[in-house]
Amino acid sequence: MNTLDIQHLSKRFANARFAAVNDISLALKNGEILALVGPSGCGKTTTLRLVAGLERPDAGEIHLNGRVVASDTVFVPPEQRGVGLVFQDHALFPHLTVSENIAFGLRGRKSAEIRTTVNEMLELVGLTGLASRYPHALSGGERQRVALARALAPRPVLVLMDEPFSSLDADLRGAVREQVRSILKAMQATVIFVTHDQEEALYMGDRLALINQGRVEQIGAPEEIFHTPATRFVAEFMGASDFLRGEAIPEGIRTEVGWLPQPAYVSQPVQVEIALRADDVDFELSETGNAVIVERFFRGAFNVYRLRLDSGQVLHAFKEHTQILPVGARVRAYISAGHPLAVFQNGQVVSNGAE
Amino acid sequence: MQRTLAYWFVASTGRKSPTSPWLAIAAGLTALFVAIPLVYIFFRAAGAEPAAWQRLLQARLWQLLGNTLLLVVAVTCGALVTGVSMAWLTERTDLPGRNVLRAMLALPLAIPAYIGGIVHLALLRPRGGLILLALEEIIGRPVATPSPLGFWGAAFILTLFTYPYVYLLSGAAFRSLHASLEEAARSLGRTPWQTFWQVTLPALRPGLMAGALLVALDILAEYGTVALLRYETFSSAIFVQLAGRYDRSAASVLSAVLVILAILILWAELRVQGQRRFTQIESNWRPAIRITLGKWRWSAFLLVASVVSASLLVPLGVLIGWSLQAFADPQTLEAVFRAGSRGFGSFVWNSLWTSLLAALLATALSLPVALLSVRYPSRISRFIARFCQVGYALPGVVIALSLVLLINRTLPFLYATPLVVVLAYVLRHMPQAVRSSESALNQLSPSLEEAARTLGRTPLQTLFQVTLPLILPGLLAGAALVFLTSLKELPATLLLRPPGFDTLAVRVWVWAGEGFYVQAAPAALILVLAAALPLSFLLRQEQIFSDSSIS
Repeated sequence: MNTLDIQHLSKRFANARFAAVNDISLALKNGEILALVGPSGCGKTTTLRLVAGLERPDAGEIHLNGRVVASDTVFVPPEQRGVGLVFQDHALFPHLTVSENIAFGLRGRKSAEIRTTVNEMLELVGLTGLASRYPHALSGGERQRVALARALAPRPVLVLMDEPFSSLDADLRGAVREQVRSILKAMQATVIFVTHDQEEALYMGDRLALINQGRVEQIGAPEEIFHTPATRFVAEFMGASDFLRGEAIPEGIRTEVGWLPQPAYVSQPVQVEIALRADDVDFELSETGNAVIVERFFRGAFNVYRLRLDSGQVLHAFKEHTQILPVGARVRAYISAGHPLAVFQNGQVVSNGAE
Repeated sequence: MQRTLAYWFVASTGRKSPTSPWLAIAAGLTALFVAIPLVYIFFRAAGAEPAAWQRLLQARLWQLLGNTLLLVVAVTCGALVTGVSMAWLTERTDLPGRNVLRAMLALPLAIPAYIGGIVHLALLRPRGGLILLALEEIIGRPVATPSPLGFWGAAFILTLFTYPYVYLLSGAAFRSLHASLEEAARSLGRTPWQTFWQVTLPALRPGLMAGALLVALDILAEYGTVALLRYETFSSAIFVQLAGRYDRSAASVLSAVLVILAILILWAELRVQGQRRFTQIESNWRPAIRITLGKWRWSAFLLVASVVSASLLVPLGVLIGWSLQAFADPQTLEAVFRAGSRGFGSFVWNSLWTSLLAALLATALSLPVALLSVRYPSRISRFIARFCQVGYALPGVVIALSLVLLINRTLPFLYATPLVVVLAYVLRHMPQAVRSSESALNQLSPSLEEAARTLGRTPLQTLFQVTLPLILPGLLAGAALVFLTSLKELPATLLLRPPGFDTLAVRVWVWAGEGFYVQAAPAALILVLAAALPLSFLLRQEQIFSDSSIS
């Protein structure tokens, strides 16, 4: 049995032109971390709030541990769902101490049990010494961990995390991320993790679901999403910098920078786009080449070159940090990926090297 | 059915889960409650016999309208100029003693204008004014001093005791204004003078407008001062019709015109409020550099000092002097403590319990309104919140009139009980409570309430365990404001009190009206001190007239 089952969930806010959540279906197994990732306003937070019971769906069903919590006829209020939610702004109660915050969800249990659980949670998140502090006297990372402990303390069936690291400084974020993931795994928690940061999603998620305009674009393991994006949107979101135009025939793709011998699922020649990252492209100086260096960005460990092909299309390419070439030089650009590339026709994949 | 009703309430912007119908009902009842006197006044005015309209239109109405508008415009302008310049001098320049002056400039809010008027009148009266007598003594012959009676006197006195509204609003705005805004203007080639007119003042404009319109509403409602200084406005004319001639239909007609005028101003104020944005102090905020006044330093100090003297030090000093005189003279002392049905203690007690009860009731009633409008924004909830501000547009005399008529007709057992006085305070001062509660709720992140829900609390438990404890300071500020203004209230108390039920304000008014200044002074002093307590709490919280939140 799945811990969470979402079927054809839809939500449109009054006065909104588009549905925030448009026919989303998802399932989560026990102990799994699913990262919902997408640009801001794509509906990922709304999905989370629908699962928590903070919004009412217009259509669709939500099942938690086999129990219907939202459907056309049923709506279980948030306090009866047993779902833990970690807020973007942490939402720690400023009038309660750290341990009172953590104990807030444990009401109705024996006081000895509450004390043990709070201590366990404090230990788990490494804040034993701060039990009697108030939230305003904590650092950002500490608040983050209190928020997590508070959500985990009642042993929720499902933990929902809404961009929990976005309020932290960049240098802190990496460390907190590692701690949080190991805490979640130690608790064997089932988690939905919302983020707009693709790198964070790759790190946190056992699986990723890419959301765009209220729909699931693709769902799968991080590697799968990264290597074989199902749509142009996914490729772009996961870091493809350029989309090279070409003409696909079943045997391969003709492009301005050469022939790509990668079979495509097309019956007749069609216009396609090849998703390229800067490390998939290389070039060499050549008077008879097909491109010109427009700009060079020094990035420390490497150089990024912006090339303009004769057709006007722009490509980016990496070179080592010592390889400094003059802007304006004529070059011959070519694809040097060494692995299959994702190819799209009208935004849908037609070739990715896989069968 | 419940679900559809709830959806109807969140129809326009429902970002949240649907409204609890109970909350909507509670807020709706509050709106209904404040609507009653308003509707009833129009009902009575429409029902007045045409002859009453005819009489008023022919003779009095236009003159009253002219008088009232003239005073409103004069005082509003005076308060704007005084308030902004005082705020600028204390917040933006190196004025000597600015920290002490800053607090003193706000304190006149604790002095009811009619008490200030009584003091200034006693000092400057054309015949027998204390200053006049003193000058005569020194020079040896009668001298003419400007008279505080009539239009100019009323405008002067009312400016002195209403400028703090503008002063506080613009002071807060000066403080929170980002220094880089003015620095940007300077770097783009503006002189400090041009910067002030082209950047600073426009940035403050919404706040200033709101303050000015509040002053205007206050002046429309003012009774004590204009009656004392014998300048006839709508409020005082209605009072005379009610208390003296007892012509209720004339009073109703005048009230309806007055309320229409007030509603127009209130409508403008609500619109301006809607345009105001939170001036947020960002992390990189730093105070603007103070302007060096140089050789103007001491003239500026004199200017501020004279405003402080006229509005605070002189009234307070005279009241203290008179009180000492009263205590020194056994006969007066006996008169002070014997007067009324149950003596001095009962005035103090009556003032305190009526104002306190009004503060509690208004705050409690404001809560569902604020919850509905802040947490479940919709066209209807916004309408209810705005409608509950109508008390600003109902002068004390108008509320008194409608309550007299209404209670006589529908709830006669309440007639001539002090509860009617409390009711009037609640109706009149509800807007302050609603604004404070809304502003407190706006500053509370909804995610705190949502967190409580996901941790197993029902909406009601969330309200009591999370929302209320966290907005308590804001609610207290609202209650303090209602308490303060109820304590100072005069006309409705005079008209509605049961015989023998005296409050401090009433006693001061009656004694001063009979010319017993010395006898009135201890009561006036206690009234001012009692008002200063909640005021200082509000000033410390910076909650007073700050960010209200109607959008």
